[in-house]
Amino acid sequence: ACSDSGNESNSSSANAENEGQNWRYAHEEYEGDVQDVFAYKFKEYIEDNSPNTVQIHRFGELGESDDIMELTQAGVLQFVNQSPGFTGSLIPEAQIFFIPYLLPVGDEKIVSFFKNSNAINDMFPDLYEEQGLELLAMYPEGEVVVTADEKVTSPQEFKGKNIRVMTNPLLSETYRAFGATPTPLPWGEVYGALQTNIIQGQENPIFWIQSGGLYEVSPNLIFTGHSQFVTAMMANQEFYNGLSDDNKKLVQDATAYARQYIFDYVPGLGDKMLKKIQQDSEEVTVTRLNEAQRQAFRDRAPQVEAKFIEMTGERGKQLLDQFKADLKDSTAAEE
Amino acid sequence: MAWIMFLVMLVLLLFGFPMKVPLILGAIVGFVMMFDGFDRMDFFIQQMLAGIRPTALIAVPMFILAADIMTRGQSANRLVNMVMAFIGHIKGGLAVSTAASCTLFGAVSGSTQATVVAVGSPLRPRMLQSGYKDSFTLALIINASDIAFLIPPSIGMIIYGVISGTSIAELFIAGIGPGLLILLMFSVYCIIYAYRMDVPTEEKASWGERIKSVREALWPLGFPVIIVGGIYGGIFSPTEAAAACVLYAVVLEFLIFRSLKAMDIYAIAKSTGLITAVVFILVAVGNGFSWIISFAQIPQTVLGAVGINEAGPTGVLIAIAVAFFIACMFVDPIVVILVLTPIFAPAVASTGLDPVHVGILITMMVAVGSATPPFGCDIFTAIAIFKRPYWEVIRGTPPFVFMLMGATLLVILFPQIALFLRDLFFQ
Amino acid sequence: MSEESPEHQPSSLPGILGTVDDGIARIEAVILAVGVLLMAVNTVANVVGRFLFGESLHFSEEVNRILIILITFAGIGYAARHGRHIRMSALYDVFPTKVRRVMMVIISFVTSAVMFFLCWYSVSYIHSVYETGRVLPTLGFPIYLIYLWVPVGLAVTGLQYLMTAVKNIVSRDVYLSTTVLDGYDEQETEI
Ligand code: NA
Ligand code: NA
Repeated sequence: ACSDSGNESNSSSANAENEGQNWRYAHEEYEGDVQDVFAYKFKEYIEDNSPNTVQIHRFGELGESDDIMELTQAGVLQFVNQSPGFTGSLIPEAQIFFIPYLLPVGDEKIVSFFKNSNAINDMFPDLYEEQGLELLAMYPEGEVVVTADEKVTSPQEFKGKNIRVMTNPLLSETYRAFGATPTPLPWGEVYGALQTNIIQGQENPIFWIQSGGLYEVSPNLIFTGHSQFVTAMMANQEFYNGLSDDNKKLVQDATAYARQYIFDYVPGLGDKMLKKIQQDSEEVTVTRLNEAQRQAFRDRAPQVEAKFIEMTGERGKQLLDQFKADLKDSTAAEE
Repeated sequence: MAWIMFLVMLVLLLFGFPMKVPLILGAIVGFVMMFDGFDRMDFFIQQMLAGIRPTALIAVPMFILAADIMTRGQSANRLVNMVMAFIGHIKGGLAVSTAASCTLFGAVSGSTQATVVAVGSPLRPRMLQSGYKDSFTLALIINASDIAFLIPPSIGMIIYGVISGTSIAELFIAGIGPGLLILLMFSVYCIIYAYRMDVPTEEKASWGERIKSVREALWPLGFPVIIVGGIYGGIFSPTEAAAACVLYAVVLEFLIFRSLKAMDIYAIAKSTGLITAVVFILVAVGNGFSWIISFAQIPQTVLGAVGINEAGPTGVLIAIAVAFFIACMFVDPIVVILVLTPIFAPAVASTGLDPVHVGILITMMVAVGSATPPFGCDIFTAIAIFKRPYWEVIRGTPPFVFMLMGATLLVILFPQIALFLRDLFFQ
Repeated sequence: MSEESPEHQPSSLPGILGTVDDGIARIEAVILAVGVLLMAVNTVANVVGRFLFGESLHFSEEVNRILIILITFAGIGYAARHGRHIRMSALYDVFPTKVRRVMMVIISFVTSAVMFFLCWYSVSYIHSVYETGRVLPTLGFPIYLIYLWVPVGLAVTGLQYLMTAVKNIVSRDVYLSTTVLDGYDEQETEI
């Protein structure tokens, strides 16, 4: 009497590897968003190259970010994609991506940073390992863009504006440093709150601004260049270590395949989405801060760095130093 | 697997178990079948706690608390008196006033039951006295109280909004149109009924009395201003508006009307806490239940088998309406919203339906289903509150159920009834 | 049995157990009332804070999250004590007293078992949260602490239903809870 979906998913009973296993993979975004694209590329590679199958669960299907993370740690899910901002309660150091003006925002620069950074490729895996997670890939989802009720070009112009942030203390600190009033709000209320002016702005990668229609109610797009939206894909470590060498290689290859796809997909995505937005609305304005304007915001970053170190201690400081060294290297390499 | 889970639930439900138990045992069956044992039951607990985590749910106890303070104080009566002063004297005026009072009180209260108590308790004796049949009176009260579920605030909409990720503010405003439509239909029916039964009319209030009644109701009329004005004026989020209502109710009843004493707040808060817990434990276990349903991919399997993917938007709307209507004839509305909303979520998403429109339709179906015999919850509410036998309570309901169904059909066919106000404010 | 107001029902347990039971009932009542009031004050303060000081209270959301858990799990015990949980009693009501008494014994035993079952797994879940070391982002203290009341509330509720089952076995009437006779006003749904 059991419907067929009930049986197949029990990976524990499917010990004969050549029959193929069904792996579950959860992420935090909706259909067609960057994490979803990554997940489906991963699935495509696995299913084309092995008898295994991958079942993808999108946002909300199995709970919120914290829930799917716990499920992965317990081995109920095999793979999870979680942005470091949400991992903050588990791995405080992961909030480093909220420090403004730490990462480059240019498309080529960010891709080369992710490919070559020691911090990303050597230090982060250890941090995740402590939590029973095998970090498989970190990748950028695009430059974070601020939208507001007015064009904002200086910290003075941010004064008195409620800017919606995800519930994360370090991100709040960033907007406090920028002169705004950080206002945590659940995603479902953001559109309405912008419309009714409870908040005067918010930040998100441009594909969210497009798919969520936020530009309709918050039409001034400001490219501050202060941050990249970064995310991470990982596996339950016990599961991963228990895989045969062939399957380990399969997972690594599938990750590399999806990651490469995203490295090609994300650059240009911002421009494409921006075009869509501009076609759809004539009200929209685009403001790109010039170097002098950015400097005024960048000058406020040390306050956020101090808060980060206060929250994460010596290990956070080492990570931050390594980030800066990596960046110097990648800039030097280009010159 | 799905069928076993639902069968277990149904049997336990009919047996008379507290509603949390069928949900928990249904979920346990799901976990055992999915994971070959009890190993993963931890995650049922995780999802229970996740269910009551969203802070938007805070609005539920806040609106209950505000309405409770007003019902025990004078605000509710003052609103009823004002409505009576203006329309009490027309043919069927007392009945129309009852419906209108439910609507007005609905602008303060988020639940059907609170409205039944606040409006039904003072008005039912008056209706009986002036010659309305009790079966008509009871049917009117329980059905008109459903308008309160559509007029903001609404606990059903808050819970739907939280689990479907839909803006509660938008749901609130979209409920106003259908709420008023139902009020209009009910009023017309009341007037026709009064002419046919030749119910005597009430004495007409003088303009002096009317002005006095408006003056007295002025303070309580601040509630809809806080809720609608506050939310759409960009001052409050729905949760904050709820808290502002509590503050306002306290100031009104304790300081201005002085109808309650400081110690009363403890008893009121305790009663609010109790109601909140009874609802939230359902939200908690309902979320655990939905989780295992979703993990097992049951929505896709079951709805796919029914052919929902080929049904198109109107087909999906009708399927939702039927499912919610039938379920609400048996089970508490909140449980129905918790269990069925996630099941239909993939179909709603893939047909591109407006989640606000869907939410309003669901709220309406909940209202109709719960007033429909044999087991609709409203019927038992009325039995409990007015101590009347089952048959007397249900005898007058059919005309109201038909009107509610008519209103639902109109909202399916003309989404603008619900969406025009939303679009006015939000687009 | 006279109709007392729900707040002052003495425990039906004998001796020291009765005293403990009464104590738990009082604690539940206080958590419910104070929890709701704190929630109101906290939420109002957040609004006022934003208006007056242009700053939301960041811990406000987390405080409310803690209060919701306290209220819910204190409240289920309190509701069980007063026979206030929502149930669909339409069929049940049709049966004569004797049958209803048997049904109520079954309902109470099963419900009690279910509560203890969840209590057990909630301890296990809390243990796993403890091991991950997860903290509340703003308040910074461990999340497992805010869940500690959950198993207590479930155990107290389980105990209430167990006592209701016993009460129905030893008495001639049907009891919805240890103190509430079936058929009195204080039954049925609240919402
Ligand atoms: Na209402
Ligand atoms: Na109803």
